[in-house]
Amino acid sequence: MEPKSIQEASSILLDDPKAKILAGGTDLLVNMKHRVEVPSVIVNIKRISHLDFIEKKNGAIGIGALTSLKSIYTNPLIGKNLRALTLAASSVGSYHHQSMGTIGGNICQQNRCKYFNQSHWWRSSRPLCFKAGGEICHVVNKKGICYSSYSGDVAPVLLALNAKVILETKTATREIPLESLFSGDGKVPLNLQGGEILREITIPQEASDGFSTYVKIANRESIDFPIVSIALWASMKRKEVRVSFTAVDRRPVRAKGVEDFLGGKELNEETLEEAVGLSSQEATPVKTSLYSPSYKRKVMGLLLKSALKEAMRRAGR
Amino acid sequence: MKHVIALNINGDTYEVLVSPNKTILEVLRDQLGLMGTKRGCDLGVCGTCTVLMDGEPYLSCLTLAMDAVGREILTIEGLSQEGDFDPLQRAFIEKGAVQCGFCTPGMILTAKAILDEEGKPTEESIKKKMAGNLCRCTGYKKIVEAVLSVATQTEREE
Repeated sequence: MEPKSIQEASSILLDDPKAKILAGGTDLLVNMKHRVEVPSVIVNIKRISHLDFIEKKNGAIGIGALTSLKSIYTNPLIGKNLRALTLAASSVGSYHHQSMGTIGGNICQQNRCKYFNQSHWWRSSRPLCFKAGGEICHVVNKKGICYSSYSGDVAPVLLALNAKVILETKTATREIPLESLFSGDGKVPLNLQGGEILREITIPQEASDGFSTYVKIANRESIDFPIVSIALWASMKRKEVRVSFTAVDRRPVRAKGVEDFLGGKELNEETLEEAVGLSSQEATPVKTSLYSPSYKRKVMGLLLKSALKEAMRRAGR
Repeated sequence: MKHVIALNINGDTYEVLVSPNKTILEVLRDQLGLMGTKRGCDLGVCGTCTVLMDGEPYLSCLTLAMDAVGREILTIEGLSQEGDFDPLQRAFIEKGAVQCGFCTPGMILTAKAILDEEGKPTEESIKKKMAGNLCRCTGYKKIVEAVLSVATQTEREE
């Protein structure tokens, strides 16, 4: 189906809860080919106009959900003010995925797991996992719970920038912090109410007043999901640091413990080491990929260290 | 239910009868006989099915045909003009950048997108952006050389 407005798309979703939204297609179509998503109807929202834009409004930056990742990292406004977002958008998949993929789709991507993102044939050697419609989560061997990891590149950056999202239905619009969009439930990773569609992402003005970076560790540099990634925003003036990680939990996580510890403190070797020690407590990685939870925890610390050092170097200049 | 849609491919309009779940790759190869676009992994990893949609590199295995209505699709068949090779195609031949040839259509179209976007891309930029096109003959060096030669050639012509 090709609705012309969000309202129309929203009522299709309300009528048919098994309908799925299609934007760039680089996540949904792969999952459909793997038969892990079997929507009754595909709602192509790309025919809806006014969803592809990057604009400044009262200092804040608004980004339409259908803006391609490529237009994000080639945009001078974002390049100048939000370096981490440029880095994250240009690290998604390959050049093709960046041209096809949208920021809304990247945020709303399915969680990933080595038992889920596999072909039907591969998965046929064991019972369906809970996320794919079975009973047991093979990662933890428990019933009725899913531990798949959220592995998006863009969401952690937007979390660290304190971004908000505007969700729209047929009748209502609400703006919520991006953080509360993520449910922490591997089976249904997003807190969307019936018929809700992500329309816009807004990044507050203060985000442009700090240093931000995104560091990704992945198997292949060219085209891969992160093993672990960190997004960091720091303002030396306000003595505030905001940190988030991706691919270590069922949602992208804000490292609140690290942030509270560093808040109001001078960044130096000592505080840095202590913060690094705290970082591994911020998430509960499980073995959803080939990499062990202990390795992921170690990498979280190392990433925080390098990101903080980079922030200190920039501030020193 | 099948739908009749009009697709603009290589400057020509094709009317095709498709079910909504068909990708452009399937329509190109199975219905229109345009076999230049290759099916590799069929999951958006290998890049060999690349086509240009309005000049942007798209993975045709992950693009629904119905989604391509109203957009200009360019495949490898539409690249040569009046029987003459495109400079990129000639460079690939001259530099020996074609081995088995399976990845070549995707490589050339991705390279075209890069050249059209950047004009004079650096070697680093070519390598980064073409990383999504896999070559199992591992002839990457010659491929990058071929694209670079066209990039510098256009510079000379200017």
